Amino acid sequence: MFGEKAIELIRELHRASDGQLPAFNEDGIRQVLEEMKALYEQNQADVNEAKSGHSELISTIKFRHCSLLRNRRCIVAYLYDRLLRIRALRWEYGSVLPNAVRFHMSAEEMEWFNQYKKSLATYMRSIGGGEGLDLTQDIKPPKSLYIEVRCLKDYGEFEIDDGTIILLKKNSQHFLPRWKCEQLIRQGILEHVLS
Amino acid sequence: MFLSDFRKEFYEVVLNQRVLLLVASDVDALCACKILQALFQCDHVQYTLVPVSGWQELETAFLEHKDQFQYFVLINCGANIDLLEVLQPEEDIIFFVCDTHRPINIVNVYNETQIKLLVKQDNDLEIPAYDDIFRDEEDSGNESDESEPSGKRQRFEEEVVERTMKRRQRREWEARRQEILFDYEQYEYHGTSCAMMMFELAWIMSKDLNDMLWWAIVGLTDQWVQDKITQMKYVTDIGALQRHVSRHNHRNGDEENSLSIDCMRIAFEYDLCLALYQHWSLYESLCNTCYTSASLKLWSVQGQKKLQEFFADMGLPLKQVKQKFHSMDISLKENLREMIEESANKFGMKDLRVQTFSIHFGFKNKFLASDVVYAASSLMENTEKDESGTDNFIKALDSLSRSNLDKLHQGLELAKKQLCAIQRTVASCICTNLVISQGPFLYCYLMEGTPDVKLFSRPISLCLLSKYLLRSFIYSTKNKRCKLLPMVMAAPLDIEQGTVIMVGIPPQTESSDKKNFFGRAFEKAAENTNSRTLHNYFDMSIIELKMEDRSKFLDALISLLS
Repeated sequence: MFGEKAIELIRELHRASDGQLPAFNEDGIRQVLEEMKALYEQNQADVNEAKSGHSELISTIKFRHCSLLRNRRCIVAYLYDRLLRIRALRWEYGSVLPNAVRFHMSAEEMEWFNQYKKSLATYMRSIGGGEGLDLTQDIKPPKSLYIEVRCLKDYGEFEIDDGTIILLKKNSQHFLPRWKCEQLIRQGILEHVLS
Repeated sequence: MFLSDFRKEFYEVVLNQRVLLLVASDVDALCACKILQALFQCDHVQYTLVPVSGWQELETAFLEHKDQFQYFVLINCGANIDLLEVLQPEEDIIFFVCDTHRPINIVNVYNETQIKLLVKQDNDLEIPAYDDIFRDEEDSGNESDESEPSGKRQRFEEEVVERTMKRRQRREWEARRQEILFDYEQYEYHGTSCAMMMFELAWIMSKDLNDMLWWAIVGLTDQWVQDKITQMKYVTDIGALQRHVSRHNHRNGDEENSLSIDCMRIAFEYDLCLALYQHWSLYESLCNTCYTSASLKLWSVQGQKKLQEFFADMGLPLKQVKQKFHSMDISLKENLREMIEESANKFGMKDLRVQTFSIHFGFKNKFLASDVVYAASSLMENTEKDESGTDNFIKALDSLSRSNLDKLHQGLELAKKQLCAIQRTVASCICTNLVISQGPFLYCYLMEGTPDVKLFSRPISLCLLSKYLLRSFIYSTKNKRCKLLPMVMAAPLDIEQGTVIMVGIPPQTESSDKKNFFGRAFEKAAENTNSRTLHNYFDMSIIELKMEDRSKFLDALISLLS
């Protein structure tokens, strides 16, 4: 059946929940393109015949042409949805992607990601009164400026932005500015205590 | 120096500063810490919390943090020792000490600049006057050196007389000072709970919440469960808290704008003092509560028979009392408290009910204050896994907040195990006559290798055990003199290092003022015999001792006290 492969690509993305990036299905895309090529060649041949008087072929030609257009739409949708997901990754993970994610991207997608990164960085540098502003921090306004954290490992001394140094020792609890802690929480050194 | 206005002199001072909280490991301190944390979180006071379990940890924690902080808040530790001498702080460091340990060290009381005591000035503090303890040193030395070469003989004689007079006066003053200090420091006892002090601070700032009130209640209940305060003091403090409870929870009775079932409500209860009975079966709770098991003498066959009689008298079928309390027949539970109290009176247990508070939230969750105390303290002294003390501290701290119900339930299970172990140990100690009268006090040593002995290497558990044992012993012995004696109990602490942990508790009489003289006595006995002891715990009456020094230490203690 025409179009079966193309819809399979869409389904594949649909099945992966939001924020996930499945591996780039190169094989599927190639098969769809081959199908399109075959359709196009058959159409070419039939058009030539139709010109020479076989008017009964016209409906078949129209049908093939619709299939062609549909396949194109599916592929574009597939690629576009992936781009949206990749863009979301930049906001979530920061500029360096984990290897597992990078592995799932095609070379073109990689290039697009780099360019996006560049333009975002240029923009962020240009705003904020000459100092630049990191837009990826605190996308939603935080409930409080400070959070309570617990130290899971002996980390040693840690300097916060007003110049004071605190000692992060296992099982000590601290009440610190939120944005200073986020990095350490991601690294698994601190744990956010919810009370 | 005592602070009178906590808000101005403490809270507003630390408001825009970074503060280090040093918290001792007991439930009262945990509750006080919770309240203070909640206050600091509303006002964005940046703090660091470090748990400390003894003097050594306090010292290392201080050394590690002294460069980064100026303000130190000590919760339930530090008042009964000269902090400046022990910690040698820089001059700009300020300590706020909120502690229940009494007597407060006299230097801490009269230091105006560095030590601020967040302590309720009860009438029983009896601090000696400044002039009796301290005296300017200048007048003794200088004058005598100014000898005039051309002085007359008479003048010289006068001077000699004057000087000897002064010296005599000084000696008298010294002796008097020793006497006053001895009287002051002789007895160790506990004052108003830290959690209540912190709640009072929250209240005068109008920042008190129902949660904080609950922590204050748990803190007070801890003092009662650990038998640290007199019954009188407990009832007075409960009264003070009850006013706050009715202020915060008046919306319950109101039908029209009653709160959702999920909101937390605190209610005053005149409930049975059976340990954990709402989460256990009535039978097991009766068997493992100190008061009932001692009064019924449950370690003997006769006692077991008496227990059966007791149930028969109440008209409760054995099948019902042996199943979980919340699955008991509702019809039986209706007048249960009155029924039990009435029968208990017949069996000579007159104080089975006690004023306390309970907390409800949701349909399922109801806890008595004592349940939470047992759960938190057994989490804190959990010996099942080889985790460090601070891990256990964190777990106990978590179990106090309502969002961590699983930890609380875990604690309740541990507490049940602990109570059973205490009961078994008490029974075996009494049946095998391990409690020996040494003259001035009773003595009991838990042998290595007895079951559950590891559990009792921690201070709170050991104190609880010795209090249960003393009470049971009083009921079991016929010797009238023994009933008035205090008790010393020892258990192995670390077998590899050959150390024992030893605790002394005051006699348990009706009129007992819970004042404990073992702290000084231990110190003196160790001094006299050169025993290798370690005063690491914040309670002076708990010490660590080398196994080999035990007997000579005990001999010294006996001769000292008799």
